[in-house]
Amino acid sequence: MRRLLACLCVCSCLCAGLLFSHRASADDLAERAKKLHFSSIVLDTHDDTTQRFFSKTYDLGKRNPDGHVDIPRMREGGMNAIFFSIWIDGRIMGPPAVQKALDQIDAVHENVRKYSKALVFCRTAAEVREAHTQGKIAALVGVEGGHMIGNDIRVLRMFGDLGVRYMTLSHFYNDEWADSSTAKPVHNGLTDFGKDIVREMNRQGIMVDISHVSDKTFYDALEVSKAPLIASHSSCRAISNHKRNMTDQMIKDLAAKGGVIQINYHLPFLSQEFNDAQTALEGDIVKSSQKRAKKCGDDPECVALEQDRKTRKLISQGKLPHVSWEKIIEHIDHAIKLVGPDHVGLGSDFDGASMPDGMEDCSKLPKITEALMRRGYSDDDIRKIIGGNTLRVMEQTEQISRELQAQ
Amino acid sequence: MRIEMLRTFLAVGLCISAGTFLAAAVTAGDTSARARKLHFSSLVVDTHDDTTQRLLDGKFDLGARSSTGSIDVPRMREGNLGAIFFSIWIPSKITGPEAVHRAMLQIDAVREQIRRHPKDLVLATTAAEVREAHKQRKIAALLGVEGGHMINSNLGVLRSYAALGVRYMTLTHSGNDEWADSSTDKAVHHGLTDFGKDVVREMNRLGMMVDISHVSDKTFCDALETSKAPLIASHSSCRAICDARRNMTDEMIRDLAAKGGIVQINYHVGFLSQEFRNAEKAHPEWEQAIAAEIKQRCGDNEGRQLIEGDRITREYVEQGKLPRVEWTKIIEHVDHAVKVAGIDHVGLGSDFDGANMPYGMEDATKLPKITEALLQKGYSEGDARKILGENTLRVMTEVEGVSRKLNAGK
Repeated sequence: MRRLLACLCVCSCLCAGLLFSHRASADDLAERAKKLHFSSIVLDTHDDTTQRFFSKTYDLGKRNPDGHVDIPRMREGGMNAIFFSIWIDGRIMGPPAVQKALDQIDAVHENVRKYSKALVFCRTAAEVREAHTQGKIAALVGVEGGHMIGNDIRVLRMFGDLGVRYMTLSHFYNDEWADSSTAKPVHNGLTDFGKDIVREMNRQGIMVDISHVSDKTFYDALEVSKAPLIASHSSCRAISNHKRNMTDQMIKDLAAKGGVIQINYHLPFLSQEFNDAQTALEGDIVKSSQKRAKKCGDDPECVALEQDRKTRKLISQGKLPHVSWEKIIEHIDHAIKLVGPDHVGLGSDFDGASMPDGMEDCSKLPKITEALMRRGYSDDDIRKIIGGNTLRVMEQTEQISRELQAQ
Repeated sequence: MRIEMLRTFLAVGLCISAGTFLAAAVTAGDTSARARKLHFSSLVVDTHDDTTQRLLDGKFDLGARSSTGSIDVPRMREGNLGAIFFSIWIPSKITGPEAVHRAMLQIDAVREQIRRHPKDLVLATTAAEVREAHKQRKIAALLGVEGGHMINSNLGVLRSYAALGVRYMTLTHSGNDEWADSSTDKAVHHGLTDFGKDVVREMNRLGMMVDISHVSDKTFCDALETSKAPLIASHSSCRAICDARRNMTDEMIRDLAAKGGIVQINYHVGFLSQEFRNAEKAHPEWEQAIAAEIKQRCGDNEGRQLIEGDRITREYVEQGKLPRVEWTKIIEHVDHAVKVAGIDHVGLGSDFDGANMPYGMEDATKLPKITEALLQKGYSEGDARKILGENTLRVMTEVEGVSRKLNAGK
């Protein structure tokens, strides 16, 4: 009798416990995700916000009614490490390209100085971690397109000395030494000089970014580089068949050498349906970018924001389909299934692309952490995805740079 | 008592005699040893060297002793040149993005040499870093931009240069730039334009020394008025001795010093010696012939042009066409500037590898002679150290302080 009682008691306790724990997990998950998110280094490898620094109305320190990134919204979204992208139209080359790139690098430095209480300029993974410890946002710089070095390896080194920590080998157009994914190949990947550029990037500790480049350029870079590569803002071609995305095989090969694909939130890269509809409506990505450039003239902020503005209008008119932010998670999940949790990160393309519903700006980022948790990813894996993996590649790149410079 | 006094008197007298004798002996025989000891324990700073031009062709290696020119690591070691400002220079006529690009390449060339010779060279951007380099027995390499035309009228470019380590900028070279008049061009801005004044203010904030060598007298006055930090004349000599527009009048030197600045004496024979200058002026055809010969020997290679210019000028001296100028002329200028402005406001800005050197100062190995000559002129060891480098380091420290204040106070 006693035994039966005890047994019943244990059973009922267990049942109550189960019931309780079930209810608790539903309620607690959001809280746990929030806690995890706001205690992690959340690193975004690609933001075109730099273009806005040249506008009279934009203020990085204030909440802006448009665009995707400013300090208040970064704080709200827990985004505490950001690569500001240095970008000019790929048809500008030579010394004018160098000059314009320098202007943008300076604009980042100046904004960091202006908001030195919130931001700190970082050049290494250790500095990013230190910034996080101090509760500051780490500001980093990436150059989006090899055309900005004026076909000169020495300019690349100067960019490195000014704090640039990755360079995308091309943008929409081929540059003098690398083929782009969105132009007719002329170099069959990287030229010999292009390979020297990759080697010098290794030596200087500048990450080699293969977003935008042609598949052949990617494979050439993968073969030449001694450090892991990044795809600072590319998604999965298996989900949306766009040249800017990576095939499963490319993602596997990138990961096999330690690299990271940082998922891009741009609608046509996320959704095949959207991509098809947009291509039918506006032509290919380069043509529509040329139209934008024509419309915006010399206003870089307009170039950065016009795309999102126009796309939203077309979606609201029913001319383009709605795409949910959860598509981002689908891409992350797909990439992880291919290569495991160590090779995926976040590369939003904020302020330079059209965002899905629910990811209107960087304040929405905690949703990603929560969604990953709901999918059953461990806290450790989530931390890697939202920043840790990119920091690891930075550290590896720094180590290789030290080794090469010691030779 | 008396005897004692006498004894004391005698003893004192003997001591004095012996002392005088000893002092005379030191002066006559041992000055060199004393000068060497002083020189090799001092931090010797040179604020202007055009060696950068030689780095561009990719063949010249700063680490190896060269049979031409004036500067390389072995010779800097031999002459104990402890800190050197590598000059970033392109001709005034090159402007716009092209000028920025080319200036970048030169900054890179210096930084590459530093990367390639980490045991001998270290990039220094503050006076403290120069001292630290010296402690570690390395040569401090610093950067100066010789001409405001290289910023393309863009404060962002100026800031990028500062971020890359540039610690002074000469407001012009031999032509006017977009915002400042040069001493060797027709005045168009009446000194500094408003933007030119903004450039000076931004340099103050960045901790970049404002260099008034090359600029017109009015630009100098404007810069002096605008700058919150002391100015330098990184490579200029005294107009009272040699009447070249590139040199400074006594009044300018006094005004510069009154605001804490410093004139770093240039060793170029055309700036040192009036006699040389007169001879040059009397025969403008020689100057043209020399220019033509340089062009023929070197084409557009600016690094070689500078070195060959020195060599061809020497040929004219050897042929008796141009007068021979001795290195001691440098001391005359140093001494004159000290008399005008005081001991705290004079330094060394050789113009090595970019000018025609006097006899006896062919390269950096000859620098101990300057120390020896200063001691012989009766300068104290402390004063000699100031001229050799400490004055420049003091100005750097002051400029850094002004920068900190401006950045903190807004």
